[in-house]
Amino acid sequence: MKGFGQRFTAFFFVIASIALLIFGRSQTSLIEQMRAQVFDIFIPVITVVDIPREATSSLSDWVRNIAVVYSDNEFLREENANLKRQLTESTELEIDNLRLKNLLKIKDGTVTTITASRIVSDSNSPFFKSMLINSGTSDGVKKGHAVVNDEGVIGRTINVAANSSRVLLLNDINSRIPVKFAENGVNVILAGDNSQLLRINFMPEDEQVAVGDVILTSGMGGVFPPDLPVGAVSEITALGEIKIEPAVNLDRLNYVSVIEYEIASFPILNLDQAGENNVPEQEGGQQ
Amino acid sequence: MNISQNKENSFGLKSTIPFFTILFLIIVMVLPYKFTVVGDIMPFLTLIGVYYWSVFKPELLPVSVVFVLGLFQDILLGSPLGLMSLLLVVVQQFIFFQGRQFLERDFLFNWFVFVMLVIGFGVLSWGITSLYFRAVLDYWGVIGQILLTIAFYPIITWILGLAKKMVS
Repeated sequence: MKGFGQRFTAFFFVIASIALLIFGRSQTSLIEQMRAQVFDIFIPVITVVDIPREATSSLSDWVRNIAVVYSDNEFLREENANLKRQLTESTELEIDNLRLKNLLKIKDGTVTTITASRIVSDSNSPFFKSMLINSGTSDGVKKGHAVVNDEGVIGRTINVAANSSRVLLLNDINSRIPVKFAENGVNVILAGDNSQLLRINFMPEDEQVAVGDVILTSGMGGVFPPDLPVGAVSEITALGEIKIEPAVNLDRLNYVSVIEYEIASFPILNLDQAGENNVPEQEGGQQ
Repeated sequence: MNISQNKENSFGLKSTIPFFTILFLIIVMVLPYKFTVVGDIMPFLTLIGVYYWSVFKPELLPVSVVFVLGLFQDILLGSPLGLMSLLLVVVQQFIFFQGRQFLERDFLFNWFVFVMLVIGFGVLSWGITSLYFRAVLDYWGVIGQILLTIAFYPIITWILGLAKKMVS
């Protein structure tokens, strides 16, 4: 009888798990809220458990930095000279660009850095590519904010709690990002497939691509601002599949920035408002 | 009957050791740590925990606890909710079906049974996840996880063995 009871309980939990799997696909907002509450509770625990690893990592970084400080200094001097030269050139280009944008009445969107965050946990799974960061709604983070670092795009927030958020990485199977080729501006969709390399979807057949071509965000979709580095073409398979190596090393992340992109309102989009303002005149005219 | 009941009650807080050791393994699994060679995959540490306690102290790891631990793992990993709870409950029932007496033998025999179990667990997790995402997922990652889990089994069971001494 006891054995039957145990088997019945186990059967109940198996059914409950299957129900959760099915329910989770359709009622995702409720599941997401529940997940957010739970992982928010776990963040301090994970942080405490991570202290030894964090301390060891900091120590090894410190030793490495001390060891390479002389060669780094030499390299930075050379880089500084190059950057000064590039700055002069880019300032001229920026002025040209601004003048042309003014002529065409193009408005740029605004990018606001919401917060800088530390990565607290990682899915570490071949099937799911996401991570938890220690910033949430209390820091101004919302679902759908872009997550970047100085090298480029990392992902976007998909689940936000009070003090933590889950970030879906570029290479997750559910990740789709509108991007463009820097060389010719062709807009494509960048998709993840859980591997280290990303792939291009919806590539026009008549467009030429070469290994090394740079991929930038296109700004479409309103999540990522345009022209952020995403990666470069690393391989074109015999079947014509284009593989992209991310600009960011997704395995070596410690700190990230959460940014908000607000698309500029173009004059053409304000026609309704302009129409409303003109209504009395029109009515007056008709009278 | 009364004697065994008294013995179970006398465990007190110690009876929560299996729960907390497996919870600790879940947290270790989600730490942002990468192995140099295999990249961003971690062994199925919770599987080792559930296997160990289900063989040696099943009375301290009821199926409801395994279910809750599976849910915690799904939440922290970002995997579909219900996936790990389903797999871990199935694993525990498989162990109970085999019988403790069958499994409670020497270390090498246990390791061999565990190898069979982890292969089944890996294949099942790959199959269910592929079904969930409606895509045939890459299987090399899960093969890596299986091999890592087999390699980590002696270390984790040694640590759990120390914890078991506190319960006994």
